[in-house]
Amino acid sequence: MKKILILGYFVHLLLFSIFSYFFIDPNLIYLRNIYTGFTFDYRGITTFIYLLFILSFFVFYFLFLKLAGKKLLNQKDLIILVAITIISLFFSYPALVSYDIFNYIATAKVSFYYLENPYLIMPIQFVNDPLLLFMQAANKTALYGPFWILLTSFPFMLGLGQFLITLFNFKLFVAIFYLLTLYLMYKFSKNTQDLILFALNPLVVFESLVGGHNDIVMMFFAIASLYLFKNKKMLLGLVFLLLSIFIKFASIFLIPVFIYLLIQKINKKEISWDKVFFIASISMFTIFLLSSFREEIYPWYGIWFLTFIPFIKNSLLRGFYLSLSFGLLVRYIPYMYLGTYFGPTPILKIILMVTPVFLFLTYKAIKIGINSRLVKKS
Amino acid sequence: MFVKTKFIIVIIIFLFCVLTSSAFAKSEYVLPYPSTMPGSIFYKVSLVKEKVMQYWYFGSFGQFFYNLKQSDKYLVEAKTLFEYNQYLLGFQALQKSNQYFLKTKPYLIKAQSEGKDISENSNILSNAALKHAEVLTDLEGRLPKSFIWTPEKDKPTNLNLKNMIEESIDIREKYL
Repeated sequence: MKKILILGYFVHLLLFSIFSYFFIDPNLIYLRNIYTGFTFDYRGITTFIYLLFILSFFVFYFLFLKLAGKKLLNQKDLIILVAITIISLFFSYPALVSYDIFNYIATAKVSFYYLENPYLIMPIQFVNDPLLLFMQAANKTALYGPFWILLTSFPFMLGLGQFLITLFNFKLFVAIFYLLTLYLMYKFSKNTQDLILFALNPLVVFESLVGGHNDIVMMFFAIASLYLFKNKKMLLGLVFLLLSIFIKFASIFLIPVFIYLLIQKINKKEISWDKVFFIASISMFTIFLLSSFREEIYPWYGIWFLTFIPFIKNSLLRGFYLSLSFGLLVRYIPYMYLGTYFGPTPILKIILMVTPVFLFLTYKAIKIGINSRLVKKS
Repeated sequence: MFVKTKFIIVIIIFLFCVLTSSAFAKSEYVLPYPSTMPGSIFYKVSLVKEKVMQYWYFGSFGQFFYNLKQSDKYLVEAKTLFEYNQYLLGFQALQKSNQYFLKTKPYLIKAQSEGKDISENSNILSNAALKHAEVLTDLEGRLPKSFIWTPEKDKPTNLNLKNMIEESIDIREKYL
C-alpha cells in the first residue's frame, strides 16, 4: 500500500511537471520549440486540471501524514519522498503562475553581468536584453535584500551566460535551501510526522521547488539563527537572523522572538521552545497579513509561517495554517481562468483564499460545540 | 504701387524682428527642488552624502546618473543663489554643475563600449542639456555681466558672470 502510494505520488509529480510546460510564455524564446499556447487558448480546461492537481497534492499530503501518524512512514521513507519530490519538480517549468524567478535572474544580470547597482538601475534600461521579452517587472529596481543579490551570483555565474542553465541553476539553488531547511527542522524536532507537515506541504513544495521562490532561503537563515541560539551560539545566531533579513526583510518580524530569547537568557530562565516557535509563527503570520497593505498577499508568503508548523502543538493553529495553504494555492485560479488581474479577479482571489479557512473554522466550531454538549450530557 | 508693397514688406519684417525673440525648444526634463544651501548646517552633511553616493552609484550607467543628478542639483543651487544675489556662491555652484555635467557623456561612451544600449540615456542627456540651457539663458538676461565680490577682510574677486554663463551654455549645447 505504502509503495503504491509513493509510486502514485511520483507519477503525479511527473505529470504535474509536464503540465507546467503548458504555461510557457509565448515570448520565452529559449523554449519556443515546445510552446503550445494551451493555457491561453483553453483557460477552462487548464484551470480544471490545475485544481485537480492541487486537490491530489493535498490528498497525497494527508495520506502521508496519516501513514506517519500510524508510524507506517519512517525516516527512510521520508527521505525517499523528499528526494522524488525534488527530482521530479526540479524539471518543472517555474513561471507557472509567477515570474519572480525571471526577476531574480534579471537582478543578478544587472549586478554581475552589467555591473550596475540593481537598486538604481532597472532591467528595462538595457534595451536589447532578451530577458525584457518575457519578464514582468523590468521597470522595477531590485526588490530584495543585498544578501539575496549576493547569493544569486552563484547560480547566475554558473549559468555561463546560458539562460536555460541559469534558470535551472536558480531552481537547484532554491532546492538546496529547501533541503537544508528540512535538515535543520529535523535537528530541532526529530519527528518524521512533524517534518512531513512542512516538507510535503503542497504550498511549500509548489512555491519552492516549482516556482523557485526565495522565501525558503530567507526562512532557512531564520531557522538556522534559532538553531544556533539553541546551541548557545548567540552571536552567530544574530548574524544569521540579519542575513535572513537581508534576503527579504520580512524576517525582521522575528526580532521580537530574539528579544524574548535574550531576556530569558539574561534572566537565566529556561527557554520554552514551543513558545518560541509559537511566537515566531504568529509574528510571521502578522507580516504575512500586513503584506496586503504593501501590494497584495502572494501565495508564496505562506512559507513564512508554515516554516514553524512542525513545531506547533496547537491543532487549531495547525489546521488554520494548513487550510490557508490550500486557500493560497487556489488563489491562482481566478487569474488562470479569466486571464486578467482586473475585474472580478481581486475579489475572487480573496474569496477563494478565505473559504477553506472559513470552512475549517466552522468545522472546528461545530466539533467543539458537539463535544461540549456531550460533556454536559454525561 | 511698388513703393507701397515694398513699405508693407519692410514693416512686416520689422515687426517680425521686434515681436519675436530667439528661444530654445522647451524641454520636458524636470529639475529637482533646491536642496540645502551653503550656510545651512545640513549643507556639510549633504556634501558628505554626495561623496558617499559616488560609490553607491557604481557602474557606467550608475555614474552617468550620479553625475547628471549632481549637475542638476548644483544648477538649481546656482540659480537660487543668483536670485538671492549670492554671486560668489552661485558662481561656485555653477562651476560644480559644469564639472559634473562634463563627466556625464564619458560614462555613456564607456557604457557603449561595454555593449550597453545607450539610446535612452542619450535622450535623457539631450533633454537635460536643453533644460539646463533654458535655465542658463534665463539667468543670463537677469544677471550683471560681471560682479566684484568683496568679502570681509579679504581681497575682492572679479566674477565674470556673463562669461561663466556663456561657457556653461556652450558645455550643454554640445550635447543637444
